[in-house]
Amino acid sequence: MISLFERYDASSDRFFDEVLTAEGNPRGHYDKMVHRFGQFSLDDISTRRQIVNIFFRNQGITFTVYGKDEGIERIFPFDLIPRIIPSHEWANIERGLIQRIVALNAFLSDIYSSQKILKDRIVPAELVLGSKHFKREFVGVRPPLGVYIHVTGSDIIRDRDGRYLVLEDNLRTPSGVSYMLQNRQALKRAFPVLFDRYKVRPIDNYPQELLRTLQEISPSSRPEPNVVVLTPGIYNSAYFEHSFLARQMGVELTEGRDLVVNNNKVYTRTTRGLQRVDVIYRRVDDDFLDPLVFRADSKLGVAGLINAYRKGNVALANAIGTGVADDKVIYSFVPKIIRYYLGEEPILDNVETWLASNPKEMKYILENLDTLVVKAANESGGYGMLVGPESTQEERERFAEKIVANPRNYIAQPTISLSRHPSFFNDAELGGCHIDLRPYVLYGNSPTIVPGGLTRVALKRGSLVVNSSQGGGSKDTWVIDE
Amino acid sequence: MLSRVAESLFWMSRYVERAENTARFLEVNFNLLLDLNDITAIDHPNYWSPLIRVTGDPLNFTDRYPEYNAHTVTDYLVFDRQNSNSIISSIGMARENARSIIDSISSEMWEQINNLYHFLQSVSPQQVHNDPFSFYREIKNASHLFQGITDNIFSRTEGWEFIQIGKYLERADNTARLIDVKYHMLMPKVGQEREHDPVHDSFDTIQWMAVLKSCSALEAFRKVYLSKIDPDNILWFLVLDRTFPRSIAFSICAAQEALWRISGSSRHRYANNADRLIGKMEAELIYTTVEDMYRKGLHRFLEEIEQGLNRIGEQVHLLYFAYHTPKIEPNDVSEALPFTGIAGGRANWSQSQQQQQ
Repeated sequence: MISLFERYDASSDRFFDEVLTAEGNPRGHYDKMVHRFGQFSLDDISTRRQIVNIFFRNQGITFTVYGKDEGIERIFPFDLIPRIIPSHEWANIERGLIQRIVALNAFLSDIYSSQKILKDRIVPAELVLGSKHFKREFVGVRPPLGVYIHVTGSDIIRDRDGRYLVLEDNLRTPSGVSYMLQNRQALKRAFPVLFDRYKVRPIDNYPQELLRTLQEISPSSRPEPNVVVLTPGIYNSAYFEHSFLARQMGVELTEGRDLVVNNNKVYTRTTRGLQRVDVIYRRVDDDFLDPLVFRADSKLGVAGLINAYRKGNVALANAIGTGVADDKVIYSFVPKIIRYYLGEEPILDNVETWLASNPKEMKYILENLDTLVVKAANESGGYGMLVGPESTQEERERFAEKIVANPRNYIAQPTISLSRHPSFFNDAELGGCHIDLRPYVLYGNSPTIVPGGLTRVALKRGSLVVNSSQGGGSKDTWVIDE
Repeated sequence: MLSRVAESLFWMSRYVERAENTARFLEVNFNLLLDLNDITAIDHPNYWSPLIRVTGDPLNFTDRYPEYNAHTVTDYLVFDRQNSNSIISSIGMARENARSIIDSISSEMWEQINNLYHFLQSVSPQQVHNDPFSFYREIKNASHLFQGITDNIFSRTEGWEFIQIGKYLERADNTARLIDVKYHMLMPKVGQEREHDPVHDSFDTIQWMAVLKSCSALEAFRKVYLSKIDPDNILWFLVLDRTFPRSIAFSICAAQEALWRISGSSRHRYANNADRLIGKMEAELIYTTVEDMYRKGLHRFLEEIEQGLNRIGEQVHLLYFAYHTPKIEPNDVSEALPFTGIAGGRANWSQSQQQQQ
């Protein structure tokens, strides 16, 4: 075995290891990488680490953690060893995700118009109509091209057998794509030699693809539609990403107070007067978009925006009300949704899910709290969940009460042994860390995926939570042509 | 460009300049007091209260400090966060503004402001009391470095013009106040009857030299007047000279040119009220003499300049930042959102309510 990997324990009996087989040999597509890393000394690694840290610091790549008195900025931890996905596996992921996104879009289009799927009782109507993300104001409003979910970032994991499963569909305003792009830049600086040995598919065209998608949904016929990014502002944890994407696309980064609606048209306030806006890539949640329609106390939105949108004078990406389809309860119906609209079998499977709203399943959940992962249906970012095996008796009792009080709001899934990937806990030690994968699907005229995604890695030993707000980091993700 | 971005550039620049000038105010005062050759006078309230009068709000000061002396005034003007014009508040606001438009400025500019901010956090009041000159030099140098970086790498776009306007309006205002400090300091000695005729004695000349030094103007002045340190000449130099970059006339001229480049105005035709007001002020300065200043009363003359600069600032705000919302249809929105971008907005509670998905 090669030096750095000598003391690495893949524990392949309990987890799927991305790099090593059960026998302890590198998988085919990792062979060259393992050999190359084997030639590095720990000093080399720490020099490379410096290069990467300086790169991230200079780029100002930070995120903010909630829950303390003041948001604390941290550099997003980056692991030096890239995650590699061979092209045949990627082809499957790509087909599976596109199938899923097309079906979910059809679902949104249906529930915001004739609601056939509810009438056919494939999905219980009360689950959809009772969801806090279902916006009844938008029934009958057709967005440009009939597309609701222009940017999505589904979370994909691998179980013990290495099967790719979809864990979550993030259909509202998924973040992290800037890390995907910056990770690639960072790794190119740190290990240019690695890239010689592999045909890594480029991802740098993501901002152009995003801009093209946004221009495609412009409701106006002007040749150069005016696209803006709408951010909640500098205190938002993903502000860096908003400003990064705006810069990369060459469009204006706006806050709510930069926009004004007049006669149902949206304008930016500029030093030269008002400029018409055609498309808003909004990174503000539905509830904050327009104080006249949603939360009246929101200062992030634009008064009158929703009327302008309903009139078809401006396009929003993503559309309003998409959260109803990434609700963790609706998630369990996605395989049925795919079969219903496309008449196909799902290419990517779901993780097995129990709904607390079903009395039989609720009983099962309450009896097995110590082995299950319980999630609140509408939370994101790793908030409001219970990881059974890591919880205390007291936490489980508290959670049980919450579940009984509001069954509609909870689902449970088995604790998945997420696949592991060798990563540096610190510069000196290589350990197996749990990872997931978030590819980004763009949907304008047709759905496309930039080959790759954000691989999030739980850098705390043994932790299963990969969210950046909970101590997770990320890796560069390569899709390679063999 | 977005009004909000233009406004933040303007205020970022303005606050850095303000911090530098506050450092200069304090420095000139120490300089003057050292020239008194009377160590017991250093804490005399008469030498310190004028600083508060021209830079801030005396009521705000007396509410929280027992008396005017070197320590309290330094604390108030350097470290007090309740004083919105203190150096620490100014740099904090400059940083907030820079942060809100971090994608519109270069990372070097941001780093410089951020470094200065962190430097201020690390300095204790005691350090400043022990060695005021090093501290003020540090602030001035940091401001010069920021302006130099900006000068070297910021594209000459509309944003650049707003940076210039902010800097020069603030500088003109501060130079006027700096001269005013000197004027106030003489008040206790000269008495009311000599208000329109500052004393011309030799001690006074030494003090005027200190004022020149604090504007970094002594050497430039000597090149024009050799060693003739005459208060009239100094006044002329700091107010009316058109070649020295910290003089009032130079600053107004520079701000005017930046305003012209934005609006396309020229000497013969103004496009808006800001251009009109600054053109009028510039024209008046061209034809003003030191005699005129005395005749009006130096204090009143300077005060009028400060008021004029305020009005120009208001017009810039109305024209470019608080862009007027067009008449809103009654069925469109029930009320327009107030524009909240003044001088770098505060943290907005609901921004942090969103979770990352």
